[in-house]
Amino acid sequence: MSAARDTAVEVEGLVVTFGHFKAIDNLRFTAAYGEVRAVIGPNGAGKTTLLDVLTGRSPARAGRVTLDGTLDLTRMSEVQLALSGIGRKFQKPSVFEALTVWENLDLACRRHRRSLVREVFSAADARHTATITATLDRIGLGAQRNARGATLSHGQKQWLEIGMVLVQEPKVLLLDEPVAGMSDDETLQTAALVRSLRGPHRSIIVVEHDMDFVEQIADQVTVMHEGKTLFEGSMQSARTDHRVLDVYLGR
Amino acid sequence: MMAASERGAAATAGLIALLLILVPLAGLHLAGPVGLSVYAVNVVGQVMCFALLAMSVDLMWGGAGILSLGHGLFFALGGYIAAMHLLRTAFATTHVLPDFLQFMGQSAFPGYWHVFDSLPFTLAAILLIPGLIAFVFGFVSFRSRVNGVYFAIITQALTYTAMLLMFRNDTGFGGNNGMTGFHGIAGLPIGGANAAVLLTVLSTIAVLLTLIGGRVLLASRFGRMLAAIRDDEPRLRFLGYDTLWLKLAAWCLSAMVAAVAGALYVPQVGIINPSLLDPSVSLEIAVWVAVGGRGGFYGAIIGAVLVNMVKFWLSAAAPSLWPFVLSLLVLLVVLALPNGLTDLRNRSRSWMTDLGRGFREAGRGRPERGAG
Repeated sequence: MSAARDTAVEVEGLVVTFGHFKAIDNLRFTAAYGEVRAVIGPNGAGKTTLLDVLTGRSPARAGRVTLDGTLDLTRMSEVQLALSGIGRKFQKPSVFEALTVWENLDLACRRHRRSLVREVFSAADARHTATITATLDRIGLGAQRNARGATLSHGQKQWLEIGMVLVQEPKVLLLDEPVAGMSDDETLQTAALVRSLRGPHRSIIVVEHDMDFVEQIADQVTVMHEGKTLFEGSMQSARTDHRVLDVYLGR
Repeated sequence: MMAASERGAAATAGLIALLLILVPLAGLHLAGPVGLSVYAVNVVGQVMCFALLAMSVDLMWGGAGILSLGHGLFFALGGYIAAMHLLRTAFATTHVLPDFLQFMGQSAFPGYWHVFDSLPFTLAAILLIPGLIAFVFGFVSFRSRVNGVYFAIITQALTYTAMLLMFRNDTGFGGNNGMTGFHGIAGLPIGGANAAVLLTVLSTIAVLLTLIGGRVLLASRFGRMLAAIRDDEPRLRFLGYDTLWLKLAAWCLSAMVAAVAGALYVPQVGIINPSLLDPSVSLEIAVWVAVGGRGGFYGAIIGAVLVNMVKFWLSAAAPSLWPFVLSLLVLLVVLALPNGLTDLRNRSRSWMTDLGRGFREAGRGRPERGAG
């Protein structure tokens, strides 16, 4: 079933260093369209660094990172990567606090991706309004549409940021700890949201510490350790793999 | 919150518009209970120029969260360009070369001065030269992602460099003494009542137009992009916005507004010299904005007006006290009102609502706890 899926992101031989420290060491990683791929591992395993490379925040020392098999992601700026369809929700909820929920989504929902001048002078059209309204429903913030970002709860900010990335219609959706700091209820709702986002033209990569959440959402799990891939497979088998247990789940 | 800001801006605009009635009365020699004296008109005009300058800083600081401590440079540039035009027109009537050129042993204006004979060219230059300098400086800084306090420091360095350059007599703009000896403006003798009224009215109109235009800009999609830069610039970049160009656009616009303020200011004081390029002048502009309150422009106007009124009064009454009063103001703002006088309004409102809630709860006998 998963074999038939097209590869979205392919990482080969990736090395990322900070000074003498190898945050990522010869990493091999793939994420396919139509799946939710969870990346787990102990602190310092290089999970967030991997997302940083995919979004142009950290430069790759060596290796290949491609989208759709052809597009070289290591040479592109954050802006180019975002416009090529890589959307990221940050670990710390990052929304524009002075703007309302609607304005946050409206800014994220680009009208003219190729021209900033046209973007500035563009007027809202029906299609964008519909996209934003649908996204508001999806993230459950319809009632807060006119509330300022600063007034939202932590969980609501996380959802808003997911919504902001969603309206960009990304091919690759990167979620860095989407349920950190959320209540159990909020975590359940977020799990349902992430499951509902799966689609044939979207690859979802989630970095998360909450194992129950990962089990609910992930089709495939990549366990990273010291900048390398330790294990790939289902969450159930990860839970019983002795290497994983040794480094991470800790007996 | 939005409504409070709207009301504040409307009230400020209303008060400034009142000046457009009071000031021309002075020109009709109705000074006294209804009008203003020529001295007062001149003070109002200068203060309006400072208000305009404060708004230019607020566009960057309140709008995009980027603090400039070097806007004195753009103010002075506008002033120097206006002064060049005024000296050329003075020469056309008096045929006397300005002192500083005679002092340098020159018998005529250097060739490039002749272009400033033209008023339209001068007006264009007032916008374009500071705009171009802002563009080059902003492009280099923003592209290297120089942010926050580091950006503020290099803007100080920039205006300091310009001051050292302008202090040299060889630079050709009057060195230490600057440029003075203006004759007239639009056919009115400089220093006279009519010129003072004209310049004050122009400055007041410039403040009003900038207040209205600036608020329209902040409410536009571009203004929301600036707010997004202020709140979380990396987030905006990862949404696919190249923030370099947004910041650069705001920065150049801000420099141009400051230059217009300088160009209106110099004929009112009758002199321009490098002291305007002193970093302390630029720091003071930031103090005006901090005192009045960042964002929305009306706080900047109120701050510039209040601080400068105190300064005008003190410079006559007790000039040596000014640095202490200024420092005290800064301390007060930093400690008690982090967002300036606009905080006073928000704070008094929250006291009022607290008081109201207290009364209601007392009426019910016990405090009520909401469910959520």
